Amino acid sequence: MTIRTRLSLWYAAVMFVALMVMGVLLYYQLVIEPRQHTQKHPERHHTEQAINQDIFEDVTNIVMWCAVPAVLLSIGGGWWLMKKSLAPVASLTQATKKISAYNLSERLPRAGNGDELDRLTEVFNGMLARLEDSFNRTREFTLHASHELKTPLTVLCGETETVLRDESLAPAERERAASQLDELHRLARIVDGLTLLARADAGQVTLTLELVQFDELVRDNFGDAQILAEPQGIQVELAGCEEATVRGDRHRLRQLLLNLADNAVKYNQPSGQVMISLRHTGDTAEFTIANTGPGIPPEVLPRVFDRFYRGDAAHSNVVDGCGLGLSIVQWIVSAHHGTIKIESVPSKITTVTVRLPLAQENKASL
Amino acid sequence: MRVLVVEDEKKTASFVRKALQAEGFAVDVCHNGDNALAAARATPFDGIVLDIMLPGRDGLSVLRQLRERKNTTPVLLLSARGEVNERVEGLDAGADDYLPKPFELTELVARVRALTRRSGENKSTVLRVADLTLDTVTHLAQRGGTEIELTAREYRLLEFLMRSPGRLCGRMMILEKVWDYDFDPGTNLVDVYIRRLREKIDANFQPKLLHTVRGAGYLLKEQP
Repeated sequence: MTIRTRLSLWYAAVMFVALMVMGVLLYYQLVIEPRQHTQKHPERHHTEQAINQDIFEDVTNIVMWCAVPAVLLSIGGGWWLMKKSLAPVASLTQATKKISAYNLSERLPRAGNGDELDRLTEVFNGMLARLEDSFNRTREFTLHASHELKTPLTVLCGETETVLRDESLAPAERERAASQLDELHRLARIVDGLTLLARADAGQVTLTLELVQFDELVRDNFGDAQILAEPQGIQVELAGCEEATVRGDRHRLRQLLLNLADNAVKYNQPSGQVMISLRHTGDTAEFTIANTGPGIPPEVLPRVFDRFYRGDAAHSNVVDGCGLGLSIVQWIVSAHHGTIKIESVPSKITTVTVRLPLAQENKASL
Repeated sequence: MRVLVVEDEKKTASFVRKALQAEGFAVDVCHNGDNALAAARATPFDGIVLDIMLPGRDGLSVLRQLRERKNTTPVLLLSARGEVNERVEGLDAGADDYLPKPFELTELVARVRALTRRSGENKSTVLRVADLTLDTVTHLAQRGGTEIELTAREYRLLEFLMRSPGRLCGRMMILEKVWDYDFDPGTNLVDVYIRRLREKIDANFQPKLLHTVRGAGYLLKEQP
């Protein structure tokens, strides 16, 4: 039950009680009291009884024809009044619904009249400001942490490489140094990915937008995917590649495609298949890449885009990714106003669908 | 060839100096921007490796000052911030190349080498390493008179390697020059392509030309 309905019912109840009290008092004044008076003077009894009967009818009439409409009117008026005074709550609800981690800088509109709701809005806005502040701190922390990590990483990589350059190094030592360097490079990729995502969260990454022949990128990517898949005997198939021009950042879009192709190969089984297609439906370009890998269990599916999320512990042993690939993919898609969806039938087929808005025909708008 | 390294982080400056010296460069090191400007005024360098984040005057400001003074020494910028816009900003300010930290030493050396002999690059239309030849006009590759079929990407990779024979080429540089990627995709794309290329140019021939140096990169040369 909404506050408005509850208040209106209470209002109606109070009105009803007031009406009853009024009726009872009226009746007492006009009927009971004169009757008591009559009992003291029994000689006037007969006529007075008739008069009393008239008065009772009059009272009933007055109550029925004046008071009842008045009560109905005030209930209606109360309903309207309630609606008017509670309207800010409705708009507050609407505005609050739209607040998420991505638009914490927005504030709820204030009436400015200093009433209870206005004060509530003020308190709410204060809370948003504190939330925004703490979100920003977390972001900045990630950003600063990844910058701070880069200097020691540079030194570590450089010194390990210097060791490797020593020709007199024993083979076992060389193997150890090279393996350390591999891990350092992986660490460097993680730090790079973190920096990128932290900067993207803070809205500090600007895309270099241009008209991009997306089908060309897909065809190009198909070639790379074939090469990547060859060592595991995986077949890559380009099921269709319709012409599609999108407005976007060429480098980021290639990163997106390569990342998805790499995943489709990595999470596949030996002699599996990868199917790539690009279709042009309405005003969107629809890119799909499917693989015949072990798939993703349904309970894991909603979390695959989470940073550093490893759904299946077994995967992390087989595949040495940086744990940020799909988060970066998701960011690239949303930065291009597109959508990404992953569907999986475990141990059968896993399909990633990316939809990007096609560029307007009017190239002059660039 | 004399190179100036401007880097405030002592350890980084030290291994960069060692690596460049090992390549036969004479190396001077400065730890801040003002000293770098003074050094560049006093000595004509063949190249400058300039860190953007320096105490006091930062790298970009040093670069602008140099260019204002009509100093055209090639400059390679280093940066820990790794922002896409920073690369553009650096190149606009007159830098010749940009390398985000953490970088691979091989990468840095290869870039400095490329900077300091930009004009000396092998411009001939037929590249040759041992009995392997590549015609950059007809895109025809031959080894010992046998024609080798290459895909477009393999051709670009081979051309890139053949333009600096006997030199180590880092993964990132190959990704940038052959794939035009300005990010590290974290795949083993380069290794796989190198393997395929090796099958085509080395499998049926002696001596082997294409070598992998673990943790450093690839090189094309006659002697192992």
